[in-house]
Amino acid sequence: MNVRKHPRLLAPGAVLAIGSVMVVAVGIGHTWSDALISEIIIVAIALFDFFLAGTKGDVGAIYRRRTDERQREVIMKASRLAMLVMFALCYGIAFILIALNKNYWQEDVIGSAGGVAFFVGMTIFGVHDEVADSSSRGIMSTEEVKPPM
Amino acid sequence: MKNEVREFRRKRELSQADLAEGLGVSRQTVIAIESGRYSPSLPLAFRIAKFFEVPVETMFDPSEEEVQ
Repeated sequence: MNVRKHPRLLAPGAVLAIGSVMVVAVGIGHTWSDALISEIIIVAIALFDFFLAGTKGDVGAIYRRRTDERQREVIMKASRLAMLVMFALCYGIAFILIALNKNYWQEDVIGSAGGVAFFVGMTIFGVHDEVADSSSRGIMSTEEVKPPM
Repeated sequence: MKNEVREFRRKRELSQADLAEGLGVSRQTVIAIESGRYSPSLPLAFRIAKFFEVPVETMFDPSEEEVQ
């Protein structure tokens, strides 16, 4: 089934796809009964996403990826909030693990990757200074200004 | 930014949903613009002005503080 023709399936489809990989990992690393519980939780989340994608309003439009410019601004603000919460949690957990003398490299990797991604994002999406226009008449301009005739 | 979107829409006897469809945005965005909670981008502002066939400065009036 083509999810582009059925935008309501995009979010739950992504949850099911990523979740199923996680379920297999749980099955291999733990027990298959644990994996079954994980699968039930993931299906419940996917159903919730399917419900959200069907709602009218901003949340439904965002889940269906049918957004206008204001809704894209909502996504950016919500993403920023999510990033701040994840950073706070990441470093909070890392500090606790350091205090408990446990391994904390996972949090270090996630936090560092987030920080690097932020700078990469600024580089990609930011507007950069271009080479100064030679016709500039700014105070630093070396161009000779001819007096009016 | 103050705007006359609601007034023009009412003059044309259009619903918010009609205007949203005409502009290609969501009804929530029309509500946000009319209530002044959201200032549209330049392309959308021009689209709104064109929709009502008025100059953009007739439709939108930035307050003095915003201009400065």
